[in-house]
Amino acid sequence: MNSLLAYIPALPLLGFIILSLFGRRSPKPVIAWVGAGTVCLAALITIAVGVAFMQSTPANGAYSQLLWSWFRVGALSVDINLRVDALTLVFIFIITFVGALIHIYSAFFMWHDRDMARFFASMNLFVCSMLLLVMADNLVLLYLGWEGVGLCSYLLIGFWYEVPSNSRAANKAFLITRIGDTALLIGLFLLFKELGTLNMNAIQQQAPQHFTTGSADIVLITVLLLVGGMGKSAQMPLQTWLPDAMAGPSPVSALIHAATMVTAGVYLIARMHGLFLLSPVTMAIVAIVGAVTLLVAGCSALAQTDIKRILAYSTISQIGYMFLALGVGAWSAAIFHFFTHAFFKALLFLAAGVVIEALHHEHNIFRMGGLRKRMPEVFITFLAGAAALSALPLVTAGFFSKDAILWYSWSSAGGTSVLWFMALVGAFITALYSTRLMLVVFWGEMRTPVHQQPDRGMVIPLIILAFFSITAGFIEWPHNMLHLSLFSDHVQQVLPATVMKRDLPSEWLFQAIATVITLTGVYIGYMLYYGKSGVRWQQSPPLAATRDFFFSGWKFDQLYNFLFVKPFLFLTRVNKSDVIDKLYNGIAQAGLRLNGWFSVSQNGSLRLYIVGVLAGILFIITLQLLL
Amino acid sequence: MTNLQLLALLPFMVLATAAVVVILLIAFKQSHTVIQVTGFFMMCAVVLAMWFVRDTLPREVPPLLVVDGLAALFTGLIIFSVLVVGLLSYIYFEEREENPKEYYILLFLATLGAAVLTISRHFISFFIGLELLSVSLYALIAYLRNRNNAIEAGVKYLMLAALTSAFLLFGMALIYMETGSMEFTAIGNAITKSGTSVLFLMGIGLIVVAIGFKLALVPFHLWAADVYQGAPAPVTAFIATVSKIGVFAVFVRFAQAIHLHENALAVTVLTVIAIACMIAGNVLALMQQNIKRLLAYSSIAHFGYLLVAFLSGDAGVGAGVFYLLAYSITLLSAFGIITLLSTRRKDADELSGYRGLFWRNPLMAAIFTVALLSLAGIPLTAGFPAKFFILTVGVQQHMWLLAVVLVLTSVIGLYYYLRIISTLFASPPLSPAKEKSLHPLFYAATYTSLVVLMFLLAWLGIFPGFIIDNVQEFLVIR
Amino acid sequence: MLIEKYIYLAIALFCIGIVGVLARRNAIIIFMCIELMLNAVNLLLVAFSKMHHAAAVAKGATAGIEGQLFVFFIMVVAAAEVSVGLAIIVMMYRNTHSVDVNFLNRLKH
Repeated sequence: MNSLLAYIPALPLLGFIILSLFGRRSPKPVIAWVGAGTVCLAALITIAVGVAFMQSTPANGAYSQLLWSWFRVGALSVDINLRVDALTLVFIFIITFVGALIHIYSAFFMWHDRDMARFFASMNLFVCSMLLLVMADNLVLLYLGWEGVGLCSYLLIGFWYEVPSNSRAANKAFLITRIGDTALLIGLFLLFKELGTLNMNAIQQQAPQHFTTGSADIVLITVLLLVGGMGKSAQMPLQTWLPDAMAGPSPVSALIHAATMVTAGVYLIARMHGLFLLSPVTMAIVAIVGAVTLLVAGCSALAQTDIKRILAYSTISQIGYMFLALGVGAWSAAIFHFFTHAFFKALLFLAAGVVIEALHHEHNIFRMGGLRKRMPEVFITFLAGAAALSALPLVTAGFFSKDAILWYSWSSAGGTSVLWFMALVGAFITALYSTRLMLVVFWGEMRTPVHQQPDRGMVIPLIILAFFSITAGFIEWPHNMLHLSLFSDHVQQVLPATVMKRDLPSEWLFQAIATVITLTGVYIGYMLYYGKSGVRWQQSPPLAATRDFFFSGWKFDQLYNFLFVKPFLFLTRVNKSDVIDKLYNGIAQAGLRLNGWFSVSQNGSLRLYIVGVLAGILFIITLQLLL
Repeated sequence: MTNLQLLALLPFMVLATAAVVVILLIAFKQSHTVIQVTGFFMMCAVVLAMWFVRDTLPREVPPLLVVDGLAALFTGLIIFSVLVVGLLSYIYFEEREENPKEYYILLFLATLGAAVLTISRHFISFFIGLELLSVSLYALIAYLRNRNNAIEAGVKYLMLAALTSAFLLFGMALIYMETGSMEFTAIGNAITKSGTSVLFLMGIGLIVVAIGFKLALVPFHLWAADVYQGAPAPVTAFIATVSKIGVFAVFVRFAQAIHLHENALAVTVLTVIAIACMIAGNVLALMQQNIKRLLAYSSIAHFGYLLVAFLSGDAGVGAGVFYLLAYSITLLSAFGIITLLSTRRKDADELSGYRGLFWRNPLMAAIFTVALLSLAGIPLTAGFPAKFFILTVGVQQHMWLLAVVLVLTSVIGLYYYLRIISTLFASPPLSPAKEKSLHPLFYAATYTSLVVLMFLLAWLGIFPGFIIDNVQEFLVIR
Repeated sequence: MLIEKYIYLAIALFCIGIVGVLARRNAIIIFMCIELMLNAVNLLLVAFSKMHHAAAVAKGATAGIEGQLFVFFIMVVAAAEVSVGLAIIVMMYRNTHSVDVNFLNRLKH
């Protein structure tokens, strides 16, 4: 099995190379087969590896493969090593499996685009980078993958670069995630300075001896890692790029901005749990960031009219749940929510892509409507996804993962009633906006005619994803219902088990409250949006102001514009030829000046050269006599 | 001398035979092509001989010589370089209506000199090797005598080399007076017993002068640019690689034997020289428009970097060998391009002649670009791990000043390498196609070898571990 | 011991050589001065060899002939150097009709 690991990232890389070299001249079927085929093969290999892993857990709990030993000098060695343990296995399964479905879908979705080769090349490169990110056994390689996915995200957000706003969105995403990347890089430097290694295993082993719990060093390092994760995973206050990133094609949103890349922050924190556990302060920050984010983004999702922006805010909110779970130490619950979320959110984005295509690129949900009858397959699958998103009890995957988070946000050692309450409000909001989305798009009267039905090849991935959105949760049940915990058993080979409080009230009570809240959310949504009533109640002035506030994403863009962009522009204007420029010019001029002086010595005169040699000798001898 | 000792010297005897064979071939009026091909096979024979004797190492041949892993490494490097230089020479000299045959005698004698340097453990063999190298080089540099500048370069090299040899001998005499011995190890033993005196240190200083001259270290570097420019391109390649490898080899052996790194004074002197090299070399190259001169300045800087490895003591030898390997391959491919572009009347040394090379000859431009990137130390070319190893050993030995200067001057270096690369890709002027008068086979061979060199550069950049491991294995043989 | 006197003589010869190299413009004379320096070293080596030999004999060992051997090598090498060097200087004369090293200034900067 070890020798198969390399093929998982190598196949998409091969696809990228083929497509970027020959893609321009290849016929479309070839592009589609290469682009989607490589990822499908990678998915098959992943499943094979996964089955072998399940059957007999390898020694040390991980498969690993040394790909390439760049060099070893003394104690320093730079190796490229792939490592697949239980945690990584979950991620590579989602990346390749969901990725393969999305690629198949894209083959039909992008068929009429003239840059199909560029699209698939970038997607394949993304899959490769993402796989490297999660399969890396040291943080340097992880960082390489981290930057790689950032690059691909940039390329794909700006895929339709003829529209200026798309390029702007791409730039925004790149710049804001860059803040996080920089913090991550500084964190890695500090970590290397402290521990002298960036190998993940070594870090996990050495950290407890090297750092005292809660010392300033470890807090600083973990906060920097957290900021890195916040940038990639669009958490407060670095969340503003993700809604704009919806400028990319829908499959891109599904793969990169819902299922995989945005969860890189979750992966990073889960992977570095050894460090985070040493810093309770940072854990609390993680939980608070998650809780605040899930509320803020949920409220914003309520007010959006663009179908993809609703889903984008919902993604931010759901990742907020994952951060909340990480922060309270419910590691396996966070990863479980990542697992289910990947299915239903990818599904929702893909289905949204179908709807948008069918309605002449119409994004506004209030100009859709009545699609229930006209696009039944899309309706059914979207319903499954929305139900999972709003976590309808027992019948959807989302329930099982979100219920676990709600429970642990109270009951785990790091949990508090406030966090629980925020998560609960978030669940209510989630149910509300899911219902709103569903009702406005699929019920009511048809406002834009459907001009084309989706291809079969686009519907099949939807159905598969819908199936998993419903059933993926059944592998992990709440403890009070059924003693089935396949997922947490699997993940807890790597991640520590959740530490619980003592003397807890019954779990049934929490489940009942959560269920009631969710159903209330659905019911209120039904009341507000079924029929025509939705438009009327929004007209009253205070509500409209709130709606506008939510619609603009809590005015974060305006805030940042005021706080950072304007002062920066001001500084650059004032400081056109600044001190730093002078420094660079100074170095250049010193170089030229020195060059002039030294060149005088090279005047071609042999006798001067002889003098030079003698002067050198004099210099050496004088130095020796003096010292 | 026992049979085994003779056997260990087999490669060097084959090398000496090569010169004699060329003399005989000339006597029998054989053509340039025959001589070239024979020379090529003789060099291959040297390699074979080295392979043949590999198990008998290490072997001392007292009192003059010792054939060990270090010698094998450096000799291998020298023979490799000479193979490429020989190949480049054919096209170059065949085109210039001179009588090219005697050139090969001198080439092989100079090679022999450099090879003797790598195995010498005694002042006499040191001196003989050095002079064999120098005297052959005088003639080689001035070989194309009708070009005025070749003679000028020859005279400059002759005068300065002879002068520094005199200092070398004076230094040797002083050391001999203090220690009563001329063997490196015996000198080392003598000074560990009785310590170092002023005269002894002065002797070391004078030897450093001669070595510094050959390696073109500041302040003995003034000849380098003029000689690089004036000498025929293949000879310049030879000076830049073979002669410096040989001298560096003997310097390493000498320093190891007399524990130079434990002598604070010598370390101070060499540190100052290294810093001066790195700064002066890079700064001088900054505005240079002549490629051959620019490579001379850059080689000054590169030997400054190499001195950092040298100053790291035993730990740095492996890094130094790797650096020399990467540097030789890089320079050989760069000079290969210069040779191929040179016309009958003039070497292709003006930067303006390279304008838009990419659009005229993409293969050449690619090879040249890779070579320049490697010189600049860009990752995934051989130059990067080479520089990185040196930096690593430097930091391990806590030579912070040197490490900082190395990094800073490397940044300056980037500027002029990238300047050439941008010239290669600029829009081309209209230029007449170069006339080709030779059998295409030789062009094919030259191109092939240059492409091989380019791939070697990439390979060393991507998988340096293999080479560095092998180098370490060789260094253990002593 | 008379060794100091040999050293002084040799250093004097060596310095005369250096001054000659520095002061003269004629390539042949510069070359001769360099040969003078080599010969100063020869003298030194022979003297040291004798000194070490005497010391070794006093201890009953045999040593100290290396210096004298070395002198022969130096002489041979110097002869070779002179032959090649003079040939180059002759070529220089043919090209520039002068042996003045100040005329060698085409290669610069």
